Amino acid sequence: MAGEPRVEGSSVAHEATVLEVRHLGVEYLTGDAPVRAVDDVSLILRRGEFLGLVGESGCGKSTLCFAIARLLGDNAEITDGEILFSGKNLVHLREKQLRHLRWRELSVVMQSAMNALNPVMTVGAQLADAMRAHDKLPAREVRKRGSAVLELVGIDPIHLNSYPHQLSGGMRQRAMIAMALVFIPDLIIMDEPTSALDVVAQRSLMVQVKELQRELGFAVIFVTHDISLIARFSDRLAIMYAGEIVEMGGTRQVFEDPKHPYSRGLLGAFPSIRGPKEVLKGIPGSPPDLRHPPSGCRFHPRCQYVMDICPTAPPPAYTPRGNDLVRCYLYAGRGTPETDMEEAEDRERHALR
Amino acid sequence: MPSAEIAVPRAAAPLLEARGLTKHFRVGGIFSRHTLHAVDQVDLAIHPREIVAIVGESGSGKSTVARLLAGVYRPTAGEIFHHGRALSQMRSRRAMLAYRGRVQMVFQDPYSSLNPVYPAARGIFRALKLHRKDLGRDARRQEVLRILESVGLTPSREFIRKYPHELSGGQRQRYGFAQALASRPETILADEPVSMLDVSIRLGVLNVMAELRRQEDVSFLYITHDIASARYIADRILVMYAGQVAESGLVEDVLAGPKHPYTQLLLSAVPDPRAELDVTAADKGEPPRVIDPGEGCRFRWRCPYRIEICDRVTPALSPVGPGQMAACHVAAGVAVGESSATAAPPASGR
Repeated sequence: MAGEPRVEGSSVAHEATVLEVRHLGVEYLTGDAPVRAVDDVSLILRRGEFLGLVGESGCGKSTLCFAIARLLGDNAEITDGEILFSGKNLVHLREKQLRHLRWRELSVVMQSAMNALNPVMTVGAQLADAMRAHDKLPAREVRKRGSAVLELVGIDPIHLNSYPHQLSGGMRQRAMIAMALVFIPDLIIMDEPTSALDVVAQRSLMVQVKELQRELGFAVIFVTHDISLIARFSDRLAIMYAGEIVEMGGTRQVFEDPKHPYSRGLLGAFPSIRGPKEVLKGIPGSPPDLRHPPSGCRFHPRCQYVMDICPTAPPPAYTPRGNDLVRCYLYAGRGTPETDMEEAEDRERHALR
Repeated sequence: MPSAEIAVPRAAAPLLEARGLTKHFRVGGIFSRHTLHAVDQVDLAIHPREIVAIVGESGSGKSTVARLLAGVYRPTAGEIFHHGRALSQMRSRRAMLAYRGRVQMVFQDPYSSLNPVYPAARGIFRALKLHRKDLGRDARRQEVLRILESVGLTPSREFIRKYPHELSGGQRQRYGFAQALASRPETILADEPVSMLDVSIRLGVLNVMAELRRQEDVSFLYITHDIASARYIADRILVMYAGQVAESGLVEDVLAGPKHPYTQLLLSAVPDPRAELDVTAADKGEPPRVIDPGEGCRFRWRCPYRIEICDRVTPALSPVGPGQMAACHVAAGVAVGESSATAAPPASGR
């Protein structure tokens, strides 16, 4: 494909960090009290990194992504924090300034992207539309780049002339990803792009995204509720619960040694197709209503290791070895020099018993 | 006709049995001659206290099978037997009502299956009034409380009053099962009962099903696209592809030694954090053709073992191991020792 489409903005020197989110808070304005859907979320994404963002419905994972892309609706508001992306703080950018970034440097693949295509326009026309909205390109270049991105995602360029209904679900999803790739941005946010697909199509799409990422070097935030799906694809994992990131670390690290009780529960909630059959418990209770979040640690009403301190104050972010962050009092003292390590370990042993 | 449950020793006769079950839909305009083969020649049997899983991707016909068994659709061909009695012979409303009481259905979406303006338990009361007329007012209330407890909605005195908006998805789905239980069914047809629920609460609902089998002697047809959950809960499994049964057998046998190439593909696609990543994903998961499929194996377009006969003859289910059946020419050839020169699906355990 001879380097087409060209990597936009690649001549600018970049440091290793693509995106840095600092203490982000997002609130939804409802009838009575505002609902804090994202609370004090901080994360750093490096160039070409694949971050898996995992959580259940209502945990704020989609809200976080929309906030990063500045796509929140009128009823939501970024109340505090910063989003640093390509040298700018996105929180303070105006719509007009954002337009220069979107698609070219940051693109979003929406959930149920299958239905996000316009049914009365051909795939090619929609790709062209996106390209013309963000760049002045000659018609031939538009056509050429359209077929190049379709080829990238494994769709025959003949489908430039196809309408969405002529494509299968998996192909529509690929077409949406192709659209996000037209300018090869630095960051692509994917909000559950595979949740409407069957397992075989799902897996094939994941492999494709991973290959494209290796080839083109963009960073990915991949949102999913299915932690097992991204086990083999993401570099780092962030696990969200009730608006907070409760654990973040290297994917292997989190899988092999989940620290937060919620992560443990989540990983233990998947029956396996191999190994001995055993009765699994899942996590008792259900996720909290964010209009009335539990006091202290938001997971404490469902936690089997709950201690006296948990309901009193929200746990700070601890950094035990190998993890970027764990919000759980079990790890008090790990990585925070001022607390006595042994005391904390005793407490953990006690709690785990 | 060979049926899928030969070598499984069982004393009791099946509660519910389908033979040659077929459902075609006419598609396109009124002059269209196109036919969608949603379900073709499916045999299945559910025995007392048995959990049978049907696994397949969207469009495989698995939900249509459940709807046929529930009497929502009339089969195009084939017959459903309830305690050996053909469903098509049940003419009276009373007989059908009795059948519907014995064979209940639980639906996929617990958010749209409860009426928001009534307490969630209203459906249980109604089912009791309809199917168990012998119960008086107080006995009915007692029975509702008992049923709520059996599906884990405790304290039941609180849950009997709750409205749908006060409930989480997992709790709503438990009401779905409670409603089905009211008529004291022998069999519950559960159509993707957990796929709309969050992962942390799916297990709770699956465990309710296992518990109901143990405590209330209910058998289940569990319809799912999640093969791991099928293994977790079911005794036997039917893998469906394009309206036909591709493979059937005891769930452990099929998962340990899948013989049909589709079952093998499905198993290889299940995300497994414990397995090494295999990036040879040649198959893009394109959906099968079920409109006017014609003769020949419906999986042949995606099959790596396709041989000449696959284009001409639709493979029938044939034995490939003790109690295990697969609809595949290549697998059947291997099973009877006609090892052909072509590549055979690896029959060994994974």
